[in-house]
Amino acid sequence: MSASLQKGINALKEVIDAPVASYFSSCVHCGLCAEACLFYVETGDPKYTPIHKLEPLRRVYEQEYTLLGRLAKMVGLSKPVTDDELESWKELVYDSCTMCGRCSMVCPVGNDIVYMVRKLREGMAVSGHAPDGIKGATKRTVEIGGPMGLKWPAVANVIKKAEAATGEAINVDKPGADYLVLLSSMEIVNYPEYLEALVKIFRKAGLTFTLASDAFEATNAGIQIGASDIAKVIVSRIVNSAEKLGVKYVLSPECGHAYMAIRWEGPNLIGRPYKFEVVHVLELLDDLRKKGVLKVKDKFKDPLILHDPCQIVRRGGVLDAPEPLIQSVAENYIPVVDKQKWNWCCGGGGGASAIHTEEAEALRAKAFGIKKRQIEQAGVGTMVTFCANCRIVIEEAFDHYGMNTQLLGLTELLAEHLED
Amino acid sequence: MQGPLIDTLVRQGVSRRSFMKYCATLASLMALPPAAGRAMAQAMAAARRPSVIWLPFQECTGCTESITRSHSPSLEGMIFDMVSLDYQETLMAAAGHQAEEALEKAIEDNKGQFLLIIDGSVATGLDGAYSCIAGRTNLDLLKHVAPHAAAIVAVGSCAAFGGIPKAKPNPTGAVAVSDIIKDKPIVNVPGCPPIPVVMTGVLAHFLTFGSLPELDRLGRPKAFYGETIHDRCYRRPFYDQGKFAKTFDDEGARKGWCLFELGCKGPVTYNACATVKWNAGTSWPVEGGHGCLGCSEPDFWDGGGFYKALSMPADPLKMAATAAVVGAAAGVAASFANRAKKGGAKAAHETVTLADLEK
Repeated sequence: MSASLQKGINALKEVIDAPVASYFSSCVHCGLCAEACLFYVETGDPKYTPIHKLEPLRRVYEQEYTLLGRLAKMVGLSKPVTDDELESWKELVYDSCTMCGRCSMVCPVGNDIVYMVRKLREGMAVSGHAPDGIKGATKRTVEIGGPMGLKWPAVANVIKKAEAATGEAINVDKPGADYLVLLSSMEIVNYPEYLEALVKIFRKAGLTFTLASDAFEATNAGIQIGASDIAKVIVSRIVNSAEKLGVKYVLSPECGHAYMAIRWEGPNLIGRPYKFEVVHVLELLDDLRKKGVLKVKDKFKDPLILHDPCQIVRRGGVLDAPEPLIQSVAENYIPVVDKQKWNWCCGGGGGASAIHTEEAEALRAKAFGIKKRQIEQAGVGTMVTFCANCRIVIEEAFDHYGMNTQLLGLTELLAEHLED
Repeated sequence: MQGPLIDTLVRQGVSRRSFMKYCATLASLMALPPAAGRAMAQAMAAARRPSVIWLPFQECTGCTESITRSHSPSLEGMIFDMVSLDYQETLMAAAGHQAEEALEKAIEDNKGQFLLIIDGSVATGLDGAYSCIAGRTNLDLLKHVAPHAAAIVAVGSCAAFGGIPKAKPNPTGAVAVSDIIKDKPIVNVPGCPPIPVVMTGVLAHFLTFGSLPELDRLGRPKAFYGETIHDRCYRRPFYDQGKFAKTFDDEGARKGWCLFELGCKGPVTYNACATVKWNAGTSWPVEGGHGCLGCSEPDFWDGGGFYKALSMPADPLKMAATAAVVGAAAGVAASFANRAKKGGAKAAHETVTLADLEK
């Protein structure tokens, strides 16, 4: 056994806990998770059945922690997990799993499959079987500061533009502000209007925010690749900075996996509760809407549908904010059948969008078929979402299929129609 | 008393009509064809009274009481008039040497033809010294009388299966009659006590057909012991609906639901109580609100408690405790082994760095 494989198996032994044991023991092989997975639904290939993606983890569990499994391993009935096997499983664990959590939700015995995928990735990453794309993103986040290799000057540039557009000074590293605003690299590069929108909304609400030059990146590639030690380093930057500045709230950007990382995984990674609260930008917006702070001057006229990002809605728990917000600003909002927690993933979450192999991109495009049908069935020319990663994946798919659909960010859409 | 039985009965105020009805009932109870009722009546009415010797061993006289005093005057009791009860210690007027002489005379006069009725178990401990009559052990007496009998009827659970004297720890070494006597036809009429009509049914069959009725694997007349109490119980529909009394004073008990959960042994007890009932058909234990004790089954006293539902293990304390200890020990061992393994994996954990992501 190679040293890296040894590390990988050891990592799997380490992450297997009571929930994992009970999940594997209670799986009844009903296959309902397959029907919940967009990769299975769109390809029809049974290898994409979510519980099957966990096969290496299941075998390690049985061979190490159950009597029958130990016996089977001893007499050669159960084969040990090998490097080759893990390499071949890379596609199932990374390319074809966006950790959208739809499988966990439909499981009739309550198995949290995505919880186990996250754990299996620990073993995959440390044994060197993570895809190069996510490896690169992780490396850039640790060494440079963000998955896209952006440094503070790029952010400073966006700040300057936003200041010019809004005529307001934006705080940087200011202690005592109400909110520490985080960005995701994609917002910095592709959607700089997000920051402008925030300036307008905060001014309306009479709240203050600051950015931090040592903690501007909200995404956490360490979680996506499955390396908790690295994820801890990345999330600690935000925690340290926020606690140093003494802010009450940290505002997660729209990006779904960033929200998952900072809100739900972070405290577990650092092993203690935060001294601040994490709020998703939509939660803040909905709160302001309820208080009557957000008043729109006019409404968006064209018919549109909403794409609920998995990590914010289904897995993040921001269930009820998006719909009232979109209704407050859009005249012709058309609800899709699988909405809110039943939403279908864009196909590029969980780090998948960072994988740029030909096969992974082809699979992503195929998996997008389900969203494409949603748009076509609703007969709309506009889709709104609130996750920077979803936006990139969806726009790539629009290009791939040559679709004329317009894609908007919810925060920007709101800001655009706010009363001056 | 001399002459045919019918005359005796008429003298005692029993009409011919009610005697015929009784015989027809008896025949149908024993699942004999209707004509058998007439045959039975004729045979019994005109019967030459066969000699019966009744030996009481380790018993409580409950069986005798059941048959002679179930209700008074009883047809069953009077049927005994159809036999020549030559020796019955409880009932006979003679005592001492006179009584023993009567026994020897009855054996001598009816060699190979008398019916031997036994109630009570046979003590075998200390060579049978636990139970003696006139200086002879029951064991000795049985071995002396049995070879000359035409057939033996073991009345009551003690004679049939050993009964309460045989209950653990069985200090007297009590055994059933069939454990001692192997070369004679033996009819077991178990019950604690047995239903009187079962007793007379066997006698009637013997008188009418000169043979013993059909027996099951435990030597019991199939006519009376062919079905379980449970299968003929009037509360059976509640069992099928899953309606059970949980305590003796709850709503279910008041509504007459199934007593299974209160320990009723009806499902494993073969007897006729549910159909024949007791005290001239007045009632029977389950109708009185108490579960069947299973008194007509072998070793009923050691069945693990009258109020424990049948689905419980017979000796739950010993078994459950052992199982719990073994299970807990295995669980603790497995948990320690798995904890140690996981601890080992944790200890072997080296902080993951970027370099580790490359193979």
